[in-house]
Amino acid sequence: MLPFDYERASTVREALAACAGSSEMPPTGAPSQFIAGGTNMSDYMRLGVTRPSHLMDINLIQDASLRTIEIGSLEIRLGALVRMSEVEDHQEISRRCPMLPESLKVAASRQIRNMATLAGNVLQRTRCEYFREISWPCNKRNPGSGCSAMDGFNRQHAVLGVSDACIATYHGDFAQALIALDATVEIAGQGANRRIRFAELHLQPGDNPEVETVLRPDEMITAIVISVPGWAARSKYLKIRDRESYAFALASTAVALDLDGDIVRDVRIGLGGVASVPWRAVPAEDVLRGKIFSEDLASKAADAAFANAKPREHNAFKVALGKQTLVRALMEVREMKL
Amino acid sequence: MTTSEAAPLPRENMGQPLARVDGRLKVMGRANYPADIPVNNLAHGLLVASGIARGRVQELHLDEAHAVKGVLDILTHDHIRGELEPPEFGTSGSSSIGPLHDDKIWHDGQIIALVIAETIEAAREAAMRITVDYKEEQPSTSFGSEGTETVAASEVSQQFKEDVKAGDFETAFDAAEVKIDVEYGMPTHHHNPIEMFSTTAYWQGEELTVHEPTQNVYGWKVEIARQLKIEPDRVRVISPYIGGAFGSKGPITPRTAIVALAARRLGRPVRCVVTRSQSFTTQTYRAETRHHIQMAAARDGRITAFKHEGWEVTSRPDPYVVGGTKTTGRLYNYGSVLTKVFLVKTDRPTPSYMRAPAETPYIYALENAMDEMAVALNMDPVEFRRVNDASQDAIEGKPFSSRSLMQCYDEAASEFGWSKRNPQVGSMRDGDWLIGMGCATAVHPANVAPCAVRITLRDDGHARVQTASHEIGTGVQTVAAQLAAEHLGLHPSMVQVEMGDTRLPPAPVTGGSSTTASVCSAIIKACEEIREKLARAAVTANDGPLAGRDPASVLLKNGRLVAADASQALKDVFKHVGSGVIEQYTEFRPDGASPDAVSNLYQGKMEMVSGEKGDMIKYAFGAEFVEVRIHRRTREIRVPRVVGAFSGGRIMNTRTARSQLMGGMIWGISSALHEATEFDWRSARVVNRDLQDYLVPVNADIQDVKVILVPETDTHVNLAGVKGLGELGNVGTAAAIASAVHHATGKRIRELPIRIDNLLG
Amino acid sequence: MTGTASPAIHISGAAALQDETRSPVPSTQREGLTVSMLINGQPYQFNIDSRTSLLDLLRDHAGLTGTKKGCDHGQCGACTVLTDGRRTLSCMSFAAMNDGWEITTIEGLSSADGDLHPMQQAFIDHDAFQCGYCTPGQILSAVACVEEGHAESDADIREYMSGNLCRCAAYPNIVAAVKQARNEMEKA
Repeated sequence: MLPFDYERASTVREALAACAGSSEMPPTGAPSQFIAGGTNMSDYMRLGVTRPSHLMDINLIQDASLRTIEIGSLEIRLGALVRMSEVEDHQEISRRCPMLPESLKVAASRQIRNMATLAGNVLQRTRCEYFREISWPCNKRNPGSGCSAMDGFNRQHAVLGVSDACIATYHGDFAQALIALDATVEIAGQGANRRIRFAELHLQPGDNPEVETVLRPDEMITAIVISVPGWAARSKYLKIRDRESYAFALASTAVALDLDGDIVRDVRIGLGGVASVPWRAVPAEDVLRGKIFSEDLASKAADAAFANAKPREHNAFKVALGKQTLVRALMEVREMKL
Repeated sequence: MTTSEAAPLPRENMGQPLARVDGRLKVMGRANYPADIPVNNLAHGLLVASGIARGRVQELHLDEAHAVKGVLDILTHDHIRGELEPPEFGTSGSSSIGPLHDDKIWHDGQIIALVIAETIEAAREAAMRITVDYKEEQPSTSFGSEGTETVAASEVSQQFKEDVKAGDFETAFDAAEVKIDVEYGMPTHHHNPIEMFSTTAYWQGEELTVHEPTQNVYGWKVEIARQLKIEPDRVRVISPYIGGAFGSKGPITPRTAIVALAARRLGRPVRCVVTRSQSFTTQTYRAETRHHIQMAAARDGRITAFKHEGWEVTSRPDPYVVGGTKTTGRLYNYGSVLTKVFLVKTDRPTPSYMRAPAETPYIYALENAMDEMAVALNMDPVEFRRVNDASQDAIEGKPFSSRSLMQCYDEAASEFGWSKRNPQVGSMRDGDWLIGMGCATAVHPANVAPCAVRITLRDDGHARVQTASHEIGTGVQTVAAQLAAEHLGLHPSMVQVEMGDTRLPPAPVTGGSSTTASVCSAIIKACEEIREKLARAAVTANDGPLAGRDPASVLLKNGRLVAADASQALKDVFKHVGSGVIEQYTEFRPDGASPDAVSNLYQGKMEMVSGEKGDMIKYAFGAEFVEVRIHRRTREIRVPRVVGAFSGGRIMNTRTARSQLMGGMIWGISSALHEATEFDWRSARVVNRDLQDYLVPVNADIQDVKVILVPETDTHVNLAGVKGLGELGNVGTAAAIASAVHHATGKRIRELPIRIDNLLG
Repeated sequence: MTGTASPAIHISGAAALQDETRSPVPSTQREGLTVSMLINGQPYQFNIDSRTSLLDLLRDHAGLTGTKKGCDHGQCGACTVLTDGRRTLSCMSFAAMNDGWEITTIEGLSSADGDLHPMQQAFIDHDAFQCGYCTPGQILSAVACVEEGHAESDADIREYMSGNLCRCAAYPNIVAAVKQARNEMEKA
């Protein structure tokens, strides 16, 4: 790890000011980085993947709203510094929308969830083995150096939203629930504050896999706001992995289903473990919406979700697994007794 | 606490479930593992590893690293050349590859430099600032890669001199009614003990002390001295607690002497902790194997022909071989046997032993084939094994010293409820979950090795047992205290045990499941010698309650020397002896070992008397049954139940025995479903070099694991009657799971691990 | 903490954690950073490099080697400590970020006179370890698991103890130990 200056901010403004000047894109390469939970940042710094010269600790920012869970009648507002385990244990959120806490409970371990913040969690970087070990060429870590995973061992890699430059998977779970619910992200900036749809936060790799989000180096997520429809009580997060716990998804899905008898009034689907970014399966939702729910229809939706999948040598099974995961989740959600 | 599953009631020929004597230290965080030892003025070392698998180091750019504040020294091959003897492959050494002895790169992640700094942070920074120019060559990764070299193991190995065979396989196979011809594969495994590998070395004048987790303090002492070109007596190796080993800390790797050299150059203590990722390339591993089995049977189930060919990956220079055909060729009552083992040389580190090195892969293949044959014969797999159970081995016709295999099957089958299994493939379900059940044999040779021990008994009833064995978690300290207490007639709390230090009498490498047998045999012998001394003093005394008795008739019990109708307190017996303490040094040399076996131990050379040596075959057996559940859509595999019944001769402590076997079976689950080191085949480099991607089971993967200890008495194996259990449990489990997966799904997965990938569609 | 569904805004979370002892430092620093914390009830002050992890601080600066390093990347759980009562991984936290916090390590779990915590005793009773290396992390994780209320069923214990690898694979014994200690901790 290279040396860095350590500093603590007491206000959002102070934190952002320290990062001003480092305006080059992408923020993941900026010399100044925020740290909160540290579970991603310390790991990648120790590996040499991230090499900031300045760390701004934002844990002590005085603004309590950053650490607050607000439950409104229509909206849930989650402060950026709320720890994953706080939402995981939240009974009211669980009642209103089970897939939110479920997606947190199956992520990492309780120790990590006690540390990691929600904003840090959604911004976590890929766990691609070739990205993490710095002796490999990697376009995301070292633009233009090539992608080692493309023709290497790529069992963990993405089949959706990939490019010729990068097939790294976005491994987060919580983000799949957020994108399914079309959550909003509140961002504080040096210039102005802004709100964007969560779906617009992450960028597919394209030709520039080193650019992972639309955030600027001098911006900070301050809150995640989720409109939770009443029918989101019929939702779940299903995660399939090589071991029962403490592992990243091979395929996962966040599913919420609005049923009128057997008719699908509305449906939301997020897919994890299979895509380069948090992934909303809009084509699958379109297949389901307005139709009479059946296993056959669920299968058709799953086919639609993976119609554009681009598997490589070792991850082809993810197409079949992703489909089965979605069908299973849809069937199980339909059976939920509310 | 009254009763606990952790403390099974002893059955015949089993010792009490005494709780671990080191338990209190361990739960308080006060058991000092080698990297915990506080050392003054410590400098921190960090390895730098190569980013290629084959070629040469052209230039190491060190200027930026040297400029890092706090950097004290950077060792490269320029510094090692001539200073250290190259490592040797064989007795105690893992490999002949001297990583820093010249500029050659033999494998991925080879040590190319050692950075020493005032702080670990500075060492990390400096290591990160080193850049390397390589002259790269195309490496060979594994089976099927271009550039590998395949050789017959028997032609190149010192340890594996012939391929076992018996009868006329070809004729029997050709003539048979039912035949199978199948191939199996087991991938590379890394031990991944949770304790990280480390070396702490310091010099006091000409004397070197090394703190390092090891399963072989004496062997290492001699090898460290040889590499450093000093007398072995000037080296002390200390390793009182070892944080998991599984074979990984058996052979010494080249780092140890390099760190010792760095400490000498610097004139201060150096501690080098190997990163988790570096441990995948600088330490040893279980190499991948391929197996070809041909088996033929008569309609009544008798196996008439068995052929087992194995291919094992090794490094370019070293012919490491596990050669499990010596066990598979003897397991059942085959009509004829033909075996052959090949080594495939690649650009990889030299593999070495890992928990049941020979049996884990080879029995996996055989037991899979047994299941496939049972299916082909339409026989119950347990009955198929019963039909082929043997009283003598198929190769040499030697009797088994004891063989409780079918007792194990019967007890485990009954506990498991095997009779409720519907043999029809895919017939058992629970909602969306397909249920499968399978079973397999576990077997491991009962090995034993020479061992020396010093037992000190004081007249106040305190005893001390000293031997340079190793507490890697098996419970050997507990068993030693318990056994010495039993034979000296003391409460176990009165017995102190010291191990893991070359200042103690030598014990063999803790490997081959031989430790309990070897250490306990030595303790029994030493205690008997103490008893005899005390008895002789008491019976030859002019007065006292035991005067004139037959010395053979008096025993040590409850702190007294006891005859049928009289006894004397230890304190008073010692007065007859004329001293307050008896210090008994005893050497145990097993039958079949050379006369020099113990003196060789002092030279760091060990003779293990293997289970096949002598007039009898000495094997421990077990039978394992598993239930798997596989989701009909997403195909993840769960293992809700495992039952294993095992016979291992004398069980010294039912608690530690059960734990070892339970851990072993979970290792078996792991090898079946989780573990595999993955390679980038273009570059012969490890891809999943951490615990995020090299998966071992977590708590949630493991549910009901039942261990049955089957009583068995075997007076042939060794003085202690112990067969050893440390490696038995994980043999067979993977095959049982593979057969259960077949039972659930109809899919026969022959390449491990069995994953969702194999079962979809 | 939480309310029923109503238009009112309910506030929960860690907002209350803020206090005076954790004030921001005005200047940036990389060496000779002064950090104070309460470890096992004792006040400590360290001069450290900004890069020092909490784990390395505990082991190399405070001499508390009961906390183990098993991977240094948050993948094994051996370095688990309690930070203001919550279980965390000390390898993933820079020590400087823990200024003003209260840390409990395995050395602080038993009483000064040597009485074991019920969890420690349960680990001995149920042989919940073999080599013992992961044990300090397992025990601290287990104590937190019970205190969080995640030790109500075997399935819950297995899931919530899954952040602590045990390569010796004492898992069933660990579950049994957590259940025994849970009952005793609940009585106490």
